[in-house]
Amino acid sequence: MAIRTKPDHQRYTFEGFGSAKYPNLMLRGAGDLNNWPLAVYESKHEGYAGMRKALQMEPGAVIEDVKTSGIRGRGGAGFPAGLKWSFMPKDTAERKFTRYLVINADEGEPGTFKDRAILEYNPHQLIEGCIIAAYAMQANTCYVYIRGEFLWLIEKLEAAIEEAKAKGYLGKDILGSGFDLEILVHRGAGAYICGEETALLNSLEGRRGEPRVKPPFPAAKGVFGAPTTINNVETIAAVAPILRMGGAEYAKLGTPKNTGTRVFCLSGHIKRPGLYELPLGVPLDFILNDLAGGSSTGKKIKAVIPGGASAPVFSEKEFSTPMDFDAVRNAGSMAGSGGVIVLDEDTCMVQACLRLIRFYAHESCGQCTPCREGCNWMEMILHRIEHGQGRTEDLDLLASMTPNIAGKTLCALGDAACGPMDSILQKFRHEFVHHIEHKTCMVSGHRLLAHVGAH
Amino acid sequence: MARLLINDLPFHATEGMSLLDAARAAGLDVPSLCHDRRLDAASACRLCEVEVKGQERPLCACATPATEGMEVRTHTPELEAYRRGVLEMLARNYPADAPAQIPEAPFHRLLARYGVEPTGHRDPAKADGTHPYMQVDLSQCIDCYRCVHICAEVQGQFVWKVLERGGRTRVEATGGSLLQSECVSCGACADTCPTGAIVDRSRLELGPAAAWTRTVCPYCGTGCEMQVGVAGDRIVAVKPALDSPVNHGHLCVKGRYGTGFVDAEDRVLHPMVRRDGEWVRVSWDEALDAAVDLLRRVKATHGPEAIGVLGSSRATNEEGFLAQKLARLALGTGNVDCCARVCHAPSAAGLGLALGTGAATNSFADIEKAGSLLVFGANPTENHPIVGTRIKQRALRGVPLVVVDPRRTELARMATVHLALKPGTNMPLLLALAHVIVHEGLEDKAFIEARTVDFEAFAQSLDAWPPERAAEVCGVTADDIRAAARIYATAKPSYMCHGLGVTEHIQGTETVTGLAHLAMLTGNLGVEGGGVNPLRGQNNVQGTAQMGCEPKRMTGYQPMDKALAAHEARWGAKLPGPGLDVLQMVDAARDGHFKALVAIGYDVFLSNPDAAASEAALGNLEGLVVVDLFMNETARAFGTVFLPACSSFEKEGTFMNGDRRVQRVRAAVKPRGEARSDQDILCALGARLGFAEAFTYAGPSEVWDEIRGLWSAVAGISYARLEEGGLQWPCPSEAHPGTAVLHTDAFPVGPRAAFRPQAWNPSSEFPDARWPLQLNTGRSLFHFNAATMTDRTDNALLQPTDRLDVHPDDALAHGLADGDPVKVESRHGTFTMKTHITDQVRPGDLWCTFHSKGIFVNRATGQGRDPVTHTPEYKVTAVTISKV
Ligand SMILES: Cc1cc2nc3c(=O)[nH]c(=O)nc-3n(C[C@H](O)[C@H](O)[C@H](O)COP(=O)(O)O)c2cc1C
Ligand code: SF4
Ligand code: SF4
Ligand code: FES
Repeated sequence: MAIRTKPDHQRYTFEGFGSAKYPNLMLRGAGDLNNWPLAVYESKHEGYAGMRKALQMEPGAVIEDVKTSGIRGRGGAGFPAGLKWSFMPKDTAERKFTRYLVINADEGEPGTFKDRAILEYNPHQLIEGCIIAAYAMQANTCYVYIRGEFLWLIEKLEAAIEEAKAKGYLGKDILGSGFDLEILVHRGAGAYICGEETALLNSLEGRRGEPRVKPPFPAAKGVFGAPTTINNVETIAAVAPILRMGGAEYAKLGTPKNTGTRVFCLSGHIKRPGLYELPLGVPLDFILNDLAGGSSTGKKIKAVIPGGASAPVFSEKEFSTPMDFDAVRNAGSMAGSGGVIVLDEDTCMVQACLRLIRFYAHESCGQCTPCREGCNWMEMILHRIEHGQGRTEDLDLLASMTPNIAGKTLCALGDAACGPMDSILQKFRHEFVHHIEHKTCMVSGHRLLAHVGAH
Repeated sequence: MARLLINDLPFHATEGMSLLDAARAAGLDVPSLCHDRRLDAASACRLCEVEVKGQERPLCACATPATEGMEVRTHTPELEAYRRGVLEMLARNYPADAPAQIPEAPFHRLLARYGVEPTGHRDPAKADGTHPYMQVDLSQCIDCYRCVHICAEVQGQFVWKVLERGGRTRVEATGGSLLQSECVSCGACADTCPTGAIVDRSRLELGPAAAWTRTVCPYCGTGCEMQVGVAGDRIVAVKPALDSPVNHGHLCVKGRYGTGFVDAEDRVLHPMVRRDGEWVRVSWDEALDAAVDLLRRVKATHGPEAIGVLGSSRATNEEGFLAQKLARLALGTGNVDCCARVCHAPSAAGLGLALGTGAATNSFADIEKAGSLLVFGANPTENHPIVGTRIKQRALRGVPLVVVDPRRTELARMATVHLALKPGTNMPLLLALAHVIVHEGLEDKAFIEARTVDFEAFAQSLDAWPPERAAEVCGVTADDIRAAARIYATAKPSYMCHGLGVTEHIQGTETVTGLAHLAMLTGNLGVEGGGVNPLRGQNNVQGTAQMGCEPKRMTGYQPMDKALAAHEARWGAKLPGPGLDVLQMVDAARDGHFKALVAIGYDVFLSNPDAAASEAALGNLEGLVVVDLFMNETARAFGTVFLPACSSFEKEGTFMNGDRRVQRVRAAVKPRGEARSDQDILCALGARLGFAEAFTYAGPSEVWDEIRGLWSAVAGISYARLEEGGLQWPCPSEAHPGTAVLHTDAFPVGPRAAFRPQAWNPSSEFPDARWPLQLNTGRSLFHFNAATMTDRTDNALLQPTDRLDVHPDDALAHGLADGDPVKVESRHGTFTMKTHITDQVRPGDLWCTFHSKGIFVNRATGQGRDPVTHTPEYKVTAVTISKV
């Protein structure tokens, strides 16, 4: 598949957007490449209204409002944003802190492409969110750590920052509030692990991008040793409408513990792939069939990865799961980053599994023995099964390895690798067995070819 | 303290313990690979996972603090199966033959314990055999990163790097090979590596140690504690003592690998006397008789003033004490000195005069407590590497650092302010720093009021030195002087240390006084993290001077008038008054009044400045008794009796380091050949001179007890207590914990320390038209002083010879290319060495080490001396250079 460096904006238009049922908070004007400037944001999308409101409030009250909104992090872990902000230490008579806000715009999770749409069409919404969040936590510097491949978006974001500066929304004494903020854009260099928040901090400091031991958590000791809050682009961009409409109003969207809307990224064998902003809790099959038109190939949908490549796969019986953090979790997977990857019945699950594990084996930072060695070993075993060299004991070997990796590593990458592995092996075991026993692919019927060098 | 349950048994964890520490303290062998107590928890190997009640998943014990109420399980079947699984992952590609080669390596022990067999192979491309002390084979690397972390977090060198990610992750030395990297050969990586991927070559060549002995490093005055590994009476390994408060489990190249001299081929192993110009092997009786005959004869014909004894700053405190006892009691001469004369005598004198104690006021531990650091005329990352790394680690963590040094040393490169002054202009700089502090009102008024007198007169003497004037004289900018003064005066407490760049000048004592003034001015005395701290040169130079190898001082550096009577009472004899120092002895020999010298571990001829003058003088002696390990230059040229001595690895006793810490020295191997300890030799001489009773001791501890009786500051330090670790004096009673910070309430000179006005008396060795360049000398990382010891180790491969640092401008002017031999000529003499072009030196300055006896740098150094202590002016000599 060719890599598209820019999203095809045609695919963003969706009838439901902007209705009361499916309010458009995150993707206003998406699809229109001329939507980004400040003037458009202010005139058409109620831009910077949330910021103006926030700057009139006490910082603590802003945090309270975000807590009230109930918004949970959109980067993967789903941690309540307001609660996270409240962990930042406050100044005391004896001790003044330098605090930082860091925006995670690394968007490396396979199947996830929402942050870049926000950066493409609504960079000012992110900037507005940054000002509100930084004001709430009294951080005077905000870093946006942005995926290196998003070169053109970096330019756009920097242009937007300049516009905001010129308007007095950034810099010293923003709108006479006495609050100062500078936003600095830092480019990543192409490592998935740098999306993990503490690896990101190391990378930001110019160190090797590898996750740090926690505790200390970033709120106590983050970038340059100072208290830091890290949030995903979508989380922070959502803060602008939250302040504008009020946390309580936002909390009415979605379900009680999974409030608001989020941007789902649909890809794979689906008729209308693209971005769908929906309130949390909409059932997966409704999204797949009613909204996105079902399978693109006419074949049955066999499996869905519901929350980015790190999420365990759903097979048909879980397709009715409501898409919110808790329901997806209860169904054995995770809502993660909102990346929904659809696989039809012609997909070889052994191959899919190998492809996923190869990604993690490749992207492990290499620190933890179980992750580094385990993922590579799993990749090797899958490789031989995929190439007709599998052994009967391989499946037990694979199954015995994940408990030695999952839950045993410094960051969640180890878990992320094991989720797909375990779930695919469990739900599609027969495909693996077929590979091993018949040396053919169960789905395509093709004979499996041994690669030179495979072992 | 936290109470927890580990495997159902109660355990009381102390503050700061991790679960791994706690489990191990409870006797449970929780496996680990990436853990090292010297490092922050990396939490990477994940072998140490334990189950904690209430936690969903196991926790990494090394990174989890032990807290109240925890219920921990360390060896459940699940955990053990998991650990085995992790080891299997590592063993898959691990060379199958490695465990048999080094069975005791921690990783190999774990494989054996869990019954896991490695099945991989070596990749020859991953081996690196370039380094003389460390063998690298990264086929054995298990990516624990301990080498990377220890090189960064402890040494601060950043040689080992992690490259790539995923399955391609690997560690590598920056620069390709270890030898070509920035490696300083501290051996920390080889020490921590759990597999043998980086291993001491000696382990492969000499095998494992059968026994370990804890002792103190024989090199510099930092006083690092080490474990010496021995097999078959041979030293096969040296490792840092992990729990030492001085070196925190770290050593430098000299301590770690510099033991080769013990079994050097040219070590003198039997006594000798010179007959008809030739050295002849004799028995101990004959040699001792020859020495005693000489001393008796000279004493009878020329009087005791014609004899002198030079104690060794290499030897133990007990032996230093016996050297002065031999001089004063058995020979009746006051002429006793040691090599502190040529290094830190001005520190002892200057601090003694200003504050009352001639030693560091604070401890090395204060480096970690300081708000800012001032390094004045010292290059600790090379000459006191463990102190250097501790300073470096602080600077890396953002603590402001001011370095005063003519050269751009490693610390200078990372300094907040580097004042690269002209050699010989310390005084104007110091006075200008004080000027800024006073004129900007940054002085500590409360401290000055409460703890000092005569501030006004001192403050007036500063008027002569506004920073602009000093800037011109010193060749630095006034802004930098101001910046440095502000850091020192405001980022408190400010730790100051100094080296020979302060003392080896004719203004040595005056400058040390100036440093003391700076600390008094800013209230940086009597506080943790502050102080004035001379970095003492040799392992026991503090001790030997403190033991009374000082012509005007008795045991404990006590003034004659205070201590002479007590010594006379104890020894039951009348003792001589003040005597000559080593430079005066040489002068007296030149003039024909001084006839016999006993030089213990002190190559006076090679070390003293102006070798031509020394040569003429020492030639006048009737005899010279040398006690040493090697045929040094003094012995070769002038010795008449040679008494072979033990190295510190072959004897018992104590050393005293630069932060006043008395530590036990222990024998690891037997004396070589017929060598005897200085104690045995001095006692034998004493006995033959008719003082058998006074020179009979059951062992070093009895000598030490005599010292305790004569010097109350160490009365509380017993050998029994030293078994628990070193103690810092003053320690007046056995209940006293020792003193880390001096002068907390008052000064030995009284409740208040006195300022006195200061001025600058410039050197006569400043450059002029005839002698346009200025030569400065110093030491380097891989060698120690005259290299008597290091030249007999493989350090000689790491730095083969002395080189003359020349600024590119001067090299151009003199048509010199890198490596060209160049002749250096001064008013006093010449030497030739290879050119090393570098902008580390200032234009107009030359700098070289003085390690090589073949080159003999001190042929060119001059006669300048500090007026108070007579310490030579090694740091300033006007010279010319020419290509040869
Ligand atoms: C291996 C790994 C990769 C991650 N990559 C990203 C990423 O690309 N973008 C992101 O926002 N969060 C990523 N995360 C999650 C972050 O660590 C962090 O939880 C998130 O940025 C917090 O923001 P939020 O609270 O707003 O969700 C990643 C986590 C892991 C373990
Ligand atoms: S789990 Fe993997 S990616 Fe995460 S820190 Fe450990 S080795 Fe690195
Ligand atoms: S070389 Fe040794 S210490 Fe370094 S990472 Fe490899 S195994 Fe660990
Ligand atoms: S010892 Fe704890 S993770 Fe290695």
